[in-house]
Amino acid sequence: MQLTKEILLDLYRKMNLVRRLEKRLEELVTAARVPCSGHFGLGQEAVGVGVASALEKTDYIFGTHRGFAEYIGKGMSPKEILTEYYGKATSLSQGRLGQHLLKLEAGIMPLPSSLGSEFGISVGAALSSQRLKNNKVTLNLFGEGTASQPDCYASLEMASLWKLPIVFVCNNNQFVELDSFKNLSPSQDVASRGAIFGIPYEITDGNDISLVWETTRRAVEKARRGEGPSFLEFKTYRRSTHYTGDPGGYQSQEEIKDWEKKDPIDRCKNLLLERRFLDENLEDSLLKEIDTEIEEAVRYAEESPFPAPEVANTGVYAL
Amino acid sequence: MSREISFIKAVREAFREEMLRDEKVFVLGEDVRAGIFATTSGLVNEFGPDRVVNTPICESTFVGVGVGAAMTGLRPVVQVMFSDFTFMAMEMIANQAGQWHYLSNGALKVPMVIETPCGARGGAGYGHSQSIEAAFMYPPGLKVVVPSDPYDAKGLFKSAVRDNNPVLFFEHRRLLTLKGEVPEEEYTIPLGQAKVRREGGDCTVVAVGRMVHEAMAAAESLAREGIQVEVIDPRTLVPLDKETILKSLQKTYHLVVAEEGRKRSGFGAELAALAAEEWFDYLDAPVKRLGAPSVPLPYSPVLERACIPDSKSIIAAVKSCLKGE
Repeated sequence: MQLTKEILLDLYRKMNLVRRLEKRLEELVTAARVPCSGHFGLGQEAVGVGVASALEKTDYIFGTHRGFAEYIGKGMSPKEILTEYYGKATSLSQGRLGQHLLKLEAGIMPLPSSLGSEFGISVGAALSSQRLKNNKVTLNLFGEGTASQPDCYASLEMASLWKLPIVFVCNNNQFVELDSFKNLSPSQDVASRGAIFGIPYEITDGNDISLVWETTRRAVEKARRGEGPSFLEFKTYRRSTHYTGDPGGYQSQEEIKDWEKKDPIDRCKNLLLERRFLDENLEDSLLKEIDTEIEEAVRYAEESPFPAPEVANTGVYAL
Repeated sequence: MSREISFIKAVREAFREEMLRDEKVFVLGEDVRAGIFATTSGLVNEFGPDRVVNTPICESTFVGVGVGAAMTGLRPVVQVMFSDFTFMAMEMIANQAGQWHYLSNGALKVPMVIETPCGARGGAGYGHSQSIEAAFMYPPGLKVVVPSDPYDAKGLFKSAVRDNNPVLFFEHRRLLTLKGEVPEEEYTIPLGQAKVRREGGDCTVVAVGRMVHEAMAAAESLAREGIQVEVIDPRTLVPLDKETILKSLQKTYHLVVAEEGRKRSGFGAELAALAAEEWFDYLDAPVKRLGAPSVPLPYSPVLERACIPDSKSIIAAVKSCLKGE
C-alpha cells in the first residue's frame, strides 16, 4: 500500500492530536486534577503514530509508557485515554489501569509497568497468530533503555528461530528516564543487536513520519507473508522530561533547539504544503476539531463518576 | 476399568487427552520433547514439534511467551524444569499472568498451566529441591495445585488445562514414580475440592503434597495407640476448600498442618491465621505447624532430612496438640 494523501493527512492529524492531548494532560497533572504523573514524548510523536498506523486494526501492538502516539495511532480515543487517567467508571478498565492503556478490540495489548516484561508476551502473541493462522502481525514498540532487559534477547532468539510474524521496533529517543543513553550503553544503535539472531534490521530517521510509516509497513507485510521478524530502530529525540515534575537538566538547550528544527509535525506539515494536500484553512479547521475533541474528552472524564468501591474486589478470576 | 500407573504416566495421559481434545493446547519449555521428568516424553511423536515446543534456557521469557499465547487464544502448558526456577519467571507469573484478567476488566483471559517438579529427593541440593508452592498463594489471580497421587494428578491436571486462569501445578519429585489406581475412563477433579484421606475424630492433620503420605503413616501409627487422626489433602492451595477443613475441625477441635515448604509465611501460616480468625470456636488447643526452617535447603542427605517434616514429627505434633501444648 502507498502512502496516499488521505493517509498522510491522517498521520498529521494524529500527531497533532497526540501533542495537544499530551500538553493538555500535562496541565491537568500539574493542576492535580488527575491522580497521577504523566510521561510525555514531545518531539517523538512520529514514531508511535507512524508504526501504529502502519498496522491493520486486527494486528497487535505492545506500546510504551511514554505519551499517546501509538495509542492514538492504533485507535484509542482521547475520551478512552483520559477516563483511564482520571480513574473513572467510564474507562475501558473501569478504573483499574490508569496509565497502562489497553484496548483489546483495537489490538492494543498490555503495557506492563515493569518495562520489557512485554517482550516474551509479545512473542507469545505472535506465536498464537502463527499457530491459529489468523494473519495477525504483532508489533512490539519499546525504548532504547528497555532493550537492555535480558528478555529482549531471548525474545529475539525465539522470534527468529520460529520465524514469527512480529516486528520489533526501538523508539530511540536518546534518554533513558533521567539519563542519557550515551551514559548507559557503549552502543548507540539498538536494532543491530537483532543481527546476532539473524533478524534483518533497519535504522532510520524517526522524525520523518512518511519514512516511519513506509519502513514499518514493509516489515509488517513481510511478517504477514510468513517471512519472519524484523527489527527497526527510529532515531528521534525526547524534548520533554521523563515525567511531569522531573526537574530535568540532562538535555542540553542547544540540542533541544537543534531537534526543534527537525520537529516531526513541522516536517510533515511542510511536506503536505509542498504537495498541496494542506492549506491554512484546512490546517485551522483540523486543529480546531482536535481541540474541541480534547476539551469534550476532558469534560466527559471530569463529569464521569468514579467506580463504586465494591468494584475493587471483583473480577480477579475468569470463569 | 482401573489400572495401576505411575504419577508420571497419569500426567502424560492427561496431557495427551487434553491435547487430543483441544488443538489449542500445547506444551512449551526446556527439553519437553525428550521430557526430563518424562511427563511429556513421546508427545512430540504424536503431536509434532509445533505443539511440543523446546525453548532456549530463559524462564522469564518462555513463561512470558506462555502468557502472551494464552492471552491471544492458545492454551499453553509451560513446563519449568524445577520449581526453584519459577522464581526466575516470577515477574511473569506474579505481575503479569495473574493480573491482566482483572486489570483488563475481563477483556483478557490467561488460560495457562505452569507445570513444575518440586521437592527434595536427595542429592539435588539447594536450587533443585525446594517446595515453594506457598509463594504463589500471595500474588492475585493464580491457582495453586499440589497433587499427592496419580489419580488426583491426572484429574487435577485436566481441570487445570481447561481452567481459564493461570494455574501452577506442582509435582513432587519423590512422587513421580509412585503408582496408584487410575481409571481408564475420562474424569476430572474440580480445583478447590479437598479430599479427606482418612477419617478420625481426635485431630485434623492438613497435609500438602507428599506430606499426605507422611501424615497417613503417622495416622496409622497413632491409631495403634488409640488416637484417631483425620487426614485432609487440600489438593489445591488456591482456591482452598475451607469448608472441608472446617467440618473436620468441628469434629476434632485440633489442627496440625504439615508441608515440605518453609514454615515461615507458608501454607500453614495462612491456615493457622484462618483458624484463629474464623474457626476460633473450634480450637481446643494452639494450631501446630510443621514445615522446613527458613534456611537454604542443604545438600547432605542428613541435613536435607533434618529440614523436612516426616511421620515422626507429625506424630509428635499431634500428641503435643492433643495435650494442648
